[in-house]
Amino acid sequence: MNALKAEKIAKGTLIRIFIFLLCIVEIYPIFWMITASLKQQSEWTLKPAYALNSGFYFKNYVDAWTRGNMAVFFKNSLINTFVALFFIVIFAVTVGFAVTKMQWQGRDAVARYFQLGIMVPVVTALIPLFQIYNKMHLINTRTSLILAYIAFGLSLSIYLITGYLRSLPDEIMEAAVIDGCGIYKLMWYVVIPLMKNGIITVLVLQFFFKWNDLIFSMTFISDSSLKTVQTGLLYFQDEFGGKNWGAIFASVTMSVLPLLVIYLILNKAIIEGMTAGAVKG
Amino acid sequence: MKRKVLSVFLTAAMAVGMLAGCGSSASTASGSQSASTEAVTASSTETASVTSETSATAATGDTDPQMKKKIKILSIWAEDNDNGVLINQICNDYKKVNPNFDYEYEYVASDDLKQKIATLAASNDLPDVFVYESGKPIVDLINADQIVDISDVLKKYNCADYIEPSAESLLTTLSQTDDLYDLPLGLNIEGFWYNKALFQKAGVEVPSTWDEFDSALKKLKDAGIQPLACGGADKWGATRLINAYTVRTLGPDAMKKAADGDAKYTDAGYVAAAQKLQDWANAGYFGQGVTTVDMNTAGTMLMTGKAAMFYNGSWFTSNLNDTSANAAGADGIGFFNIPVQDESISGADSYSMNCGNILCLGKAKYDDATGWFVKYFVEHMGDTAMTVQGSVKGYTYTADTSKATGYTQLVLQEMAKAKSSFTWYEATMGSEVSTVAQENVQSLLNGDMSAQDYMKSIQDASDSQAE
Amino acid sequence: MKKVLGNKGAVAWFVLPALILYTAIVFVPIVWSFYYSLFSGSPGLKWKFCGMKNYFLLFKDKNFLDALIVNGKYIAIVMVGQVGLGLLLALMFMFWLKKCKSLVRTLVFFPVVLPTVAVGELFAKIYEIQPNYGLLNSVLDSLGFHNLVQAWLGQASTALGCLCFMDIWVAMGFYSVIFYGALLDIPYDIIEAAKIDGCSGFNLFRYVLSPLLKPITVVACVFSFSGTVKMFESATALTGGGPGNATKSLSMYMYEVAFSYNKVGYASVLALVIFLICIGGSSIIGLFDKSSKEDN
Repeated sequence: MNALKAEKIAKGTLIRIFIFLLCIVEIYPIFWMITASLKQQSEWTLKPAYALNSGFYFKNYVDAWTRGNMAVFFKNSLINTFVALFFIVIFAVTVGFAVTKMQWQGRDAVARYFQLGIMVPVVTALIPLFQIYNKMHLINTRTSLILAYIAFGLSLSIYLITGYLRSLPDEIMEAAVIDGCGIYKLMWYVVIPLMKNGIITVLVLQFFFKWNDLIFSMTFISDSSLKTVQTGLLYFQDEFGGKNWGAIFASVTMSVLPLLVIYLILNKAIIEGMTAGAVKG
Repeated sequence: MKRKVLSVFLTAAMAVGMLAGCGSSASTASGSQSASTEAVTASSTETASVTSETSATAATGDTDPQMKKKIKILSIWAEDNDNGVLINQICNDYKKVNPNFDYEYEYVASDDLKQKIATLAASNDLPDVFVYESGKPIVDLINADQIVDISDVLKKYNCADYIEPSAESLLTTLSQTDDLYDLPLGLNIEGFWYNKALFQKAGVEVPSTWDEFDSALKKLKDAGIQPLACGGADKWGATRLINAYTVRTLGPDAMKKAADGDAKYTDAGYVAAAQKLQDWANAGYFGQGVTTVDMNTAGTMLMTGKAAMFYNGSWFTSNLNDTSANAAGADGIGFFNIPVQDESISGADSYSMNCGNILCLGKAKYDDATGWFVKYFVEHMGDTAMTVQGSVKGYTYTADTSKATGYTQLVLQEMAKAKSSFTWYEATMGSEVSTVAQENVQSLLNGDMSAQDYMKSIQDASDSQAE
Repeated sequence: MKKVLGNKGAVAWFVLPALILYTAIVFVPIVWSFYYSLFSGSPGLKWKFCGMKNYFLLFKDKNFLDALIVNGKYIAIVMVGQVGLGLLLALMFMFWLKKCKSLVRTLVFFPVVLPTVAVGELFAKIYEIQPNYGLLNSVLDSLGFHNLVQAWLGQASTALGCLCFMDIWVAMGFYSVIFYGALLDIPYDIIEAAKIDGCSGFNLFRYVLSPLLKPITVVACVFSFSGTVKMFESATALTGGGPGNATKSLSMYMYEVAFSYNKVGYASVLALVIFLICIGGSSIIGLFDKSSKEDN
């Protein structure tokens, strides 16, 4: 009996140590990023990269903010991301609903057609898209980015929402219809509230994708007043490959902070949303 | 493609002219023209004739007609960095001369420059003025008739004398044209920077031949000092070393010969140069993991005494002048030209030179207003660069250089010694060949690829490009 | 009910705007690429019709083959790692973790939030060897494994593995949360009943949990595949495709061909190949999906 108990305690300790290590591995980067953002340029070569910052070199933040023009970039990133997210959610729910619950010819084909897009590599579309935008005079507008964000976010979002909708019992809808709900009312009062978890999952995933986009904003936007945060990170590399590491990490820290805050605030909803059977296949 | 005898050698007169700030434009070129360049020349004369009509009134004198235009400038430097400062200052100064002038300054990361230009060229939407790369990339734009013949512009606005002849000669050599199609944004020499304290500690003299260089490497290594820092992650830092050895053993036109098919990259001499680099790597002269070190880190290693030597260009002075980064102090770092093998093949007064990134003018947007701006730019760039940054940009200047820092003076002195020049390893290579040369140099440094295989991969790429 | 759900007007309102946008921005460019693939050079630069020549070029192109192999290895390792470790972590949350469940899950999910550029720079510093040992080499060095200290990113034999490790690290938290959700959905009595029958540990997983987790595994595989097949940002950030081209993926090669070689035509062929691989891969995974649905 004692041996068994001892074994159990040993096992428990091992598990605890393992989980502790896991947490260290996950948390260390944020910590390192912040110390890195406070280092002077010479510290990078004089001391190992994992060493703590020797002082608080806040000039990196000043550099990042002034030269990186971060305030403007933040505004642009926020506008682009949120407008795109809004439409992605609307489209994902409506299309998802239409292809899973509604009866019409060709719905499977349309579903498959949207699903194909999960696989389209962004680079494939880059040059033709530039030509299309150029002809429509959309280069250097927020619209160009937002349209691309929405279109490239649709496939995965619809796929996710479809998974949720499949598990939505038909009885609920039937009851609503018997109570006299039309299709639009059904959508607004029944489906959308029930899709809360699915919508949160889509929002979270797409937010990270759009916020981190580099390739579209680099290609379509050249006006510095319209650039986004990620392009701002590029301001610290010069012609011959030199990098101002401190300023890079200062601006990375600044670009990550809003994500962290949003994540920590929404954390419960996000994890719940995702674990509540977000993806049902 | 236009062929012309490579005029990499700058004449002594040119070198003197470059520093004295006088000397007439003396671009010498010979050779035959192919159909494609003829087409370019023909169409550019067309533009010239069209513009000359409109400028009949404007060209009455040297006074700016104050034409209204907003030009767009695409650059790879932020407004407060390097050439970005100079371009912006000149634009703002020009606004005072021509109040109707305005400009939009756009910045892209240098890694994305080519992609940006490719997408813009594809829709015939190149900006009025943009930064680009000399050598092959610009040849493509010339052949596609996308950029302005700058010699015509300089002639028309009577300001050709403001370009350093040496810079002009270097640029026309690189673009393989008689006329100038780009404006220089630098005039740099390259060579070895060394940490004086470490040299003294190991008892090493500045080497002037490759044999001396080799024994210096060994001596430093034996003294427990890493002899060389090299930015293998940025690739070109490593190919420059191969180039240095190739030129000194085979002559300044060696790379050109191989590119033109007059020699093979796999010939013994070329392989020997690649072998040299691998030998150094195998001997541990670069330290461990050289392919993961970027140029900036390598430079800092030199300044902080972690490595004794570092190959880089004169632009490195901007790091050296930064007192917070340069732990070696105002006199701790020295410079020596690439060691010599045989004076008769390539002498000690021959330097590796380049004009850095260059400025081109998009043809579709070009008009007289741009022309007047270019005139102002060309006339003022030299002095602005010298007064603001103490740097030489390939334009004549009258500003006083005595206030420049020690490192800047050092570069000016070295430049004064230059009697001829040669270009970098990839200058004569097309983009595919140059990509192969750069990527595989990492495998060469690692020992994953032999020197023989490395040169063969370059030859193969060159053959497939010729197809 | 039928009438409401068969409302054609509503279907049009629900589907058409998204369909038009999606077609114009995602699919028209693909068709456009096909048209481009018949030309040599780049639009505006030596742009000439060349028929099927670009397609023949593909078969002679050693770089393409190398990139294909690198990309294939990467997909295999990262998919197994992300999905497998995600599953293991989820099982751990479920059966081992008693306290601080939500805290641990929050932390594990965290790397998903970081920008790829930042993660790349971070790992470059972890694997560093010159001018100073990075975290990994320092740990190895201080533990006495001096012969294991090496240039992790500087040699072809280890660079791809290091890259894969990074991408698994980034995404495993995301997969663990998905799997955890699926595990929560399994009625507790099923597990209880199995335990009473003497089924525990691996057997419990093998005979009870794994069939129930199959649909979610397929979904996770689709996610992972669609992410890994596009391999671009993380490799660009960590290794730039080097050393040599040991970590250069198809997308990176395509980007290079299009923008540094100025061969948009040939790059379009490569883009189409990537697209076909994607379709092929997803339909293979789709087959499992079908069989799992028939099981149900």
